[in-house]
Amino acid sequence: MANTENELMLRMHGIKKAFGDNEVLKGIDLTVACGEVLAIIGPSGSGKSTLLRCINRLEEIDGGSIEIEGEFLAVTNEAGEAEYVGAKKSRELLSRMGMVFQQFNLFPHMTVLENLLEAPIHVKGLKREEVLPVAQELLAKVGLTGRENSYPSELSGGQQQRVAIARALAMKPDIMLFDEPTSALDPELTGEVLKTMKELAAERMTMVVVTHEMAFAREAASHVIFMEGGHIVEQGEPQAFFTNPREERTRAFLQNML
Amino acid sequence: MDKLLDTVLQMLEGSQITLEIFCVTLVLALPLGMLVALGRLSPVRPLSRLLELYIWLMRGTPLMLQLLFVYFALPMVGIRLPDIVAALLAFTLNYAAYFAEIFRAGISSVPKGQYEAAKTLGMSYPLTMRRIIFPQVFRIVLPPVSNETINLVKDTSLVYILAMNDLLRVARTIVQREFDMTPFFIAAVFYLVMTAALTWGFKKLEAHYGKY
Repeated sequence: MANTENELMLRMHGIKKAFGDNEVLKGIDLTVACGEVLAIIGPSGSGKSTLLRCINRLEEIDGGSIEIEGEFLAVTNEAGEAEYVGAKKSRELLSRMGMVFQQFNLFPHMTVLENLLEAPIHVKGLKREEVLPVAQELLAKVGLTGRENSYPSELSGGQQQRVAIARALAMKPDIMLFDEPTSALDPELTGEVLKTMKELAAERMTMVVVTHEMAFAREAASHVIFMEGGHIVEQGEPQAFFTNPREERTRAFLQNML
Repeated sequence: MDKLLDTVLQMLEGSQITLEIFCVTLVLALPLGMLVALGRLSPVRPLSRLLELYIWLMRGTPLMLQLLFVYFALPMVGIRLPDIVAALLAFTLNYAAYFAEIFRAGISSVPKGQYEAAKTLGMSYPLTMRRIIFPQVFRIVLPPVSNETINLVKDTSLVYILAMNDLLRVARTIVQREFDMTPFFIAAVFYLVMTAALTWGFKKLEAHYGKY
């Protein structure tokens, strides 16, 4: 899909989500333009992971609307309830997004290469010969050439996460979602994953990243959102956000993190 | 020597019934158990509860009683089945219940993240189950399924109460006729050979699927 710069990739408006009586998202608005890297930060339980999971329908919103590249995934009807588009359209819209999880979630019974080939072959119906060069190229990109036939259990956490990134990219998504991609890693392994993500950002991949890595947010993000208690407390360009936060809460949080 | 050979030949014939019940039960009960497991895990409450009741009945009563029920009680309500079919019905229903619980535990032990990863890659539910979940379940359930399968070899001997000439019944008939205990030893060897073959086969499978 050809996208001109600044074209809107994702718009969320008035997002509400509750688990039982627990209101996790209390009306979130955000937009992500093409090529933009949005970093979402905030304390545990602030709703940031839930917000990310609402984007690709791993969680369903209770109210608000979600628009992907100008097309609605969910809208709120007159009764105030969120309504999703039909199954076929929903699948099509969701296929434009890839996701990387905190726990990697690689398929343990498949080799690295099989993990990458699985969805292109069995979901898109592509031929193995067509996907193979793409997969090899992606593995080279994440620095794992030569590990094609390893099983995930034979790799370090950092390597597994890089495979997970390559697996998501193999479906050629327009938007990449990252849910705390380095939180399950030893400190010395987070660097290699962040490096891969920075390279991706440099290639103008549109990314939404929930993270605790302030250095990454500061260096690689084009926009930062600070969430707490289901609200967006503050947002802005990383430079201004990190050097001169307006809100007292943001300042306190950043002090703890840095 | 001729007498021994004759005994062994008769018992080989008896072991055909044993093997037939074993193989057919396995071929029917494994897929049925998988369906029951999926039904147990389904969000459709009445279906899940009904299957829970079925599993409770099958695991809560002796297989011997279930055999007698199919063989003697069903004809009273007008359902008459050939001996072998009655035996296979009872065995399949009983073993499917055990397999269902093994599969249910296996499916439940695959982390939720596997379903989510598959979903974000655009995989449908059937595709996810076939390509991602079942292969992992298969590895998890191999040891308990191996156990149940070995139990099944020995449980087949229960059909002797239905007057079917399986391995054990043939042995007992010869023992009673000849006042010679040898057939019991031969029967033991037959069962041991069968369970040894299974143990070896499952060991190979576990080694094959243990590579990751």
